[in-house]
Amino acid sequence: MSVSSSRKIMQIFGAELDKLITLPLIWLTLMSTFILNLALAAAFTSAGLQGTAGTQSILNIGLASMGYLQAGFIILGILATCSEYTGGQIRTTLTTIPWRGLQLSTKHLALAMITIPVAFIIAASGVLYTFIMIRDTAVVIEIDTIITTLIGATGYLTLTTLLSAAIGALLRRTTPALVVLLGYYFIVSPLMRIFLPGINKYLNYFPDTAGNYMYMPRSPDDINVLTPMQGTGISMLWTLMFITVAIVFYCKRDA
Amino acid sequence: MLTMNNLVKHRGNQEILSGISFRARPGRVTGFLGPNGAGKSSTLRILLGLDRATSGSALINGKTFAELHNPLATVGAALDGFGAHRMRTGRAHLRWIARAAGLSNSRVEEVLKIVGLTNAADKRVGKYSLGMGRRLGMAAALLGDPKILILDEPVNGLDPEGIRWIRTFLRERAQSGNTVLLSSHLMGELAETVDDVVIIKHGTIVADGTLEEVIGNHSTLEKAFFALTSEHAGEVV
Repeated sequence: MSVSSSRKIMQIFGAELDKLITLPLIWLTLMSTFILNLALAAAFTSAGLQGTAGTQSILNIGLASMGYLQAGFIILGILATCSEYTGGQIRTTLTTIPWRGLQLSTKHLALAMITIPVAFIIAASGVLYTFIMIRDTAVVIEIDTIITTLIGATGYLTLTTLLSAAIGALLRRTTPALVVLLGYYFIVSPLMRIFLPGINKYLNYFPDTAGNYMYMPRSPDDINVLTPMQGTGISMLWTLMFITVAIVFYCKRDA
Repeated sequence: MLTMNNLVKHRGNQEILSGISFRARPGRVTGFLGPNGAGKSSTLRILLGLDRATSGSALINGKTFAELHNPLATVGAALDGFGAHRMRTGRAHLRWIARAAGLSNSRVEEVLKIVGLTNAADKRVGKYSLGMGRRLGMAAALLGDPKILILDEPVNGLDPEGIRWIRTFLRERAQSGNTVLLSSHLMGELAETVDDVVIIKHGTIVADGTLEEVIGNHSTLEKAFFALTSEHAGEVV
């Protein structure tokens, strides 16, 4: 790669980062997610203190809100790509950066750059709150395990954000993208697990369930489990597949 | 030089451009005229690489838009609408564009001053009037100080002072050897600004020549336009 090309990529990356940082909706989503996660962590911790905290680990309680927390990251991903189609910004983007594949890839990279630290901070804040509140009663866990689990949770939230951004780029409109993704993560997938127990084994290979294994402590009696590495690999494959499809469509169709 | 060569565009079963060919030359302002839905915006969108032609080519100095090494320094474009997210400020919008093209923030301040938006630069774009939005579009088009300007309805929404400013500005750009292609439905404004005129109707070019050639025996450009675009109009001028 020539110096000129790498400089151009850095310029585009900087522009995509600027776009995300200067959009108030992105900050609003992240702040709301942070506050809601702390509120949920407080609620789960309070329930833990009243009930069976002695038998639960700080990680189990601190990450209990992950299921809800991912909604904030799904919204973040969708906003990152669908915001291009508000006010005709996509025309400015493509007349400034007409190399579509490069532009959309760089947008995902900039989004990952923002998501990774934020996801870590938000996931860690829940665990830290729980640790402070129930350190005397809960099962003690080694710091290495906490860090590994938080890295797994950060990875899961980042991959979910990138996958959501790819779906947003495919659908181009915020509301349909929200309906599809929140509908899948919060309605379709849980209902399939309840009403179609026969296919639970295969559901492990879907992005949400596979991603859960990136941070969830494994139960020894569950025979349909994936290792954290397998969960990471499957989640990455889904995310890369959707990003690739989004880029192909983005390059082929009219803006 | 902008060169449209036999552009054809199908959308669904409809042919919206049927072999569009014309040129916009350096040192001249070329007006691109046509009724609503005639294919003006579709032609400009293909030229800017936003839409794909079914066949034919639209070239900028012999290259497609995506082949340009530094698009912002070659072509400045302002299409309909503001081209900016409503929740971002005008300054933030221009800064990300500048960053993508490797331009400094001081250049952003320069173009804000040129279009008269310095005092409104920290307002969110959603609070801009139509005229301010057009000025923001112009500021974005001018960021890279390009040799070619492509403007879709540039005077739409501008007040009389803004219209006079843009008319003078475009004439000066052309006089210093730049290429200006603009679409408009305001004949009076166009007649005072353009050197060459291209008229499109139902996706076909019905007139292409200098302002004098297109006006021909008619008393005004407006009369020539209606004569050429009415349902029973004749062949290419």
